[in-house]
Amino acid sequence: MKILEANAGALTNYEVVDFLRSKGAANDSTRVLAQVSPSEYKVYDYLVQTAACNQTREHINDFVDKCKIYGLAKAEVLNIINIRPTSIIDIYTIVEEGETRFGDETRFGEVSKELAELVEKTLPPPPTDPESEAGINEGKEETENEEHNVETKGEEQTKAGNDDGKVETVVGELMDTS
Amino acid sequence: MFYLSRIEHTFRVPPSLLNLPIEEAIKGELEKLFLDKVIADLGLCVSVYDIKSIEGGFIFPSDGAATYTVVFRLIMFRPFVGEIIAAKVKESNATGLRLSIGFFDDIYIPAHLFPKPSSFKPDPNKKDKGTWEWEYDEEPYIIDGIDEIKFRVHNVSYPPIPIEQPKEAKPFAPMVITFLCMSSSVSLLHMLGPKGSIDEDGLGPVSWWVDAEETKES
Repeated sequence: MKILEANAGALTNYEVVDFLRSKGAANDSTRVLAQVSPSEYKVYDYLVQTAACNQTREHINDFVDKCKIYGLAKAEVLNIINIRPTSIIDIYTIVEEGETRFGDETRFGEVSKELAELVEKTLPPPPTDPESEAGINEGKEETENEEHNVETKGEEQTKAGNDDGKVETVVGELMDTS
Repeated sequence: MFYLSRIEHTFRVPPSLLNLPIEEAIKGELEKLFLDKVIADLGLCVSVYDIKSIEGGFIFPSDGAATYTVVFRLIMFRPFVGEIIAAKVKESNATGLRLSIGFFDDIYIPAHLFPKPSSFKPDPNKKDKGTWEWEYDEEPYIIDGIDEIKFRVHNVSYPPIPIEQPKEAKPFAPMVITFLCMSSSVSLLHMLGPKGSIDEDGLGPVSWWVDAEETKES
């Protein structure tokens, strides 16, 4: 085995979900028929619980475009898309050394606030599980919703046909912000 | 978090697969070889993304199968240092926490990477188990197993395969992620409001930082 290129491009969680869906991964009873291995299903099951579940290519492109002005590193943008942080403090942890990069603390605070609002506006909220929402989890980012995919499966599959093979271009082309 | 890796590999495609189209046969073989396996320094293989080229098909003397050289791309799970990941608690004992993200369980937070001062409260009912608490302003913040916790990746290591393993040792894990400074998204995370300032580097439990700030302002 020869590793030609260890890093041939990063993928967002959404792109991985999309790829697995194009292979036929779903949450309904057809999952046993699909050509998806058990280990791939484990990844899929994890990812549909995250913010990646409801995202689309347009959302991500839109977000990447809009946050170009902040000059974030590629990895940071990727991390924001994956985690979908909606509070300033979440942004604080993802964006490293913000105080020095954005001048001072107050400026960084403003940037974080704008970013948090941008995330809220451009990226769709993760699925929420009606049962677990009642308690302390209110407003939490990542709760699960298994049912979602059953409804959208039809359109995912039709989409899968033309999406195949294009997936890697999103990150590569648009995320050269660093 | 997920990366593509381009790899070239030469392998034998057994004659039993001759009835399949060549690409399908090769993809199946690749999946058998790589799926759910850790490649050192590349991470955990999630899926075969695509096949770039198939060359060869040479049959070596005294071998009843064709050997192909294939260039392909794999989807690898490989967290980068500094990445924030949300995970669930799997185990909690005196040495630290073990977390799981569903498909990957070898995620550890050793005791020394907890925010200070943290303490471990053993559970009298269960041997070796217990909960971790972070103390701030004389208020304990407990890390229970219910909520998702966000962590910053501290280190990703690929331990070598042990030649001899002691009997009581943990099962061998080819890829281990160590996490640092947690922010449990417990009920503490509710804030949001005009941002003041953070007097430290912000490295640390997110929600707890929020909390600290509010206390200071009031």
